[in-house]
Amino acid sequence: MKKKSKWNKYMILSIVSLLVGVFLWWLVTDGLSAVKSNILPAPTTVVKTFIKKLYDPNPEGGTLFVHLLSSLKVALSGYGLGIILGIPLGIIMAWYSRIEMTVRPVFDLVRTVPGVAWIPVMVSLAGIGLLSKALVIFISAMVATVINTYSGIKQTKEVHLWVGQTFGASDWELLTQIAIPSAQPMILTGCKIALGSAWTTLVAAELLASTKGIGYMIQQARGIYRMDIVIVGMVIIGLTGAALTGLISLIEKRILKGGRY
Amino acid sequence: MSISWIKNGRKFAYGTFGILLFGTIWFFATNGTNLGKILPDPITVLKKFFVSFAEPIGTKTMTLHILTSLRRMLLPYLTACVTGIVLGMVIGWYKPLEAIIKPYIELIRPIPPIAWIPLSIAWFGFAEMSKYFLIFLACFPTITINTYSGVRSVDETIVRAARMLGAKDRQLFATVVMPSTVPYIFAGLQVAIGSSWATIVAAEMIRSSEGVGWLIISGQETSNMSQVLVGIVAIALTGLLLVSFMRLLETKLCAWNERGA
Repeated sequence: MKKKSKWNKYMILSIVSLLVGVFLWWLVTDGLSAVKSNILPAPTTVVKTFIKKLYDPNPEGGTLFVHLLSSLKVALSGYGLGIILGIPLGIIMAWYSRIEMTVRPVFDLVRTVPGVAWIPVMVSLAGIGLLSKALVIFISAMVATVINTYSGIKQTKEVHLWVGQTFGASDWELLTQIAIPSAQPMILTGCKIALGSAWTTLVAAELLASTKGIGYMIQQARGIYRMDIVIVGMVIIGLTGAALTGLISLIEKRILKGGRY
Repeated sequence: MSISWIKNGRKFAYGTFGILLFGTIWFFATNGTNLGKILPDPITVLKKFFVSFAEPIGTKTMTLHILTSLRRMLLPYLTACVTGIVLGMVIGWYKPLEAIIKPYIELIRPIPPIAWIPLSIAWFGFAEMSKYFLIFLACFPTITINTYSGVRSVDETIVRAARMLGAKDRQLFATVVMPSTVPYIFAGLQVAIGSSWATIVAAEMIRSSEGVGWLIISGQETSNMSQVLVGIVAIALTGLLLVSFMRLLETKLCAWNERGA
């Protein structure tokens, strides 16, 4: 009981702190008008813009919903492909040492390139449509998935494998019944990290080359000094990213019934 | 000894084979096909990469481009290290401060640093300052949160035992909290250096006149694909160097706690 009330005290402190922050923001913008709205818009303006953007396609030609949908479509198609190919590749790389030794150096070279850097290559290969962005996201999602799946399989306890061998399990059985199940938490962590990097890369891709999407929206809004739209866009990017990560955590809890490790 | 030598020799042979295979596929995919009109073959790219150390691309040679990007990255990275570690320790140790400050960090964290680009341009113009700001944002939350969770993960029992044996706050901090936090801090620094390298590339692609990101984007603008790929090679190699340097630093500085590679 006592513990709970203490926790509440800190909750109140957090809320007060956030309220003070918003008040200060309001004070320097609307209250004292010390900062121009094309540098930092007032919190009230941001809220108003947010509501307005829900139905108004002006000024850059799409409602919030349209932009978000297009961003999600690109991000999820690239991401889905990335994990579908990344997980098996990670497993194969970790299990078969010859393949590991062959593929690892190439993979290590590819993974040090940030996803953003691939954008110009993909744009010249596939134009500025959905495909090029999905390919860029595919690369950055796949790299994260492969790394985590790989280390998940590599961390399989040797003792467990020995037990399997003693009971006469074949190599395939060792992989599918011991290594993969015990690597599940790491694989799901990989999916989570991959989602984060996919979302970041998407924003970058949309800032550089696109005709719709949230990143495009904030880039256009900056051009016409509408910082309120920029901030609305950033909030949406942050919220969507957090929501997607939360979704994966939920799936993680469902799949890993036995708890972690 | 000799067994490990044979093992390494085999690893090297397979690795070389992998890279050569990759290069050969690339070579034949681009020579005499339609793809070749868009993508240069690997020999051209490698030749151009080495030549670029002597002959300038744009106004600078490759060495200077890389150094420019590194210089841009280093100052805000170090600032973020110092402030992030200090802040992380403070909010990890003092509950009320945690309640006040942590909500803000949790608000900033899900927004990819790249999404701040429009806002940073509005605030700081196209000067170096806007890039510093972005890099700082890319590192600061990661380092802070990692330090914070390091401090929080200190075993409460050990802290109480030390207290009971008469340790003063400073001793407690230096001998109990610090050693178990340092691995977390290093994990944070490691992640941060990777993401700040990705961010500087993205920032330079949006607007700059030198640096490795500029190499890529100006290559795209002049449809000079080999320059884009040279830029990617430079980014990959520098990123690899940065990450290995951090790993070396970690194994040297906290030998008592080696995380898995």
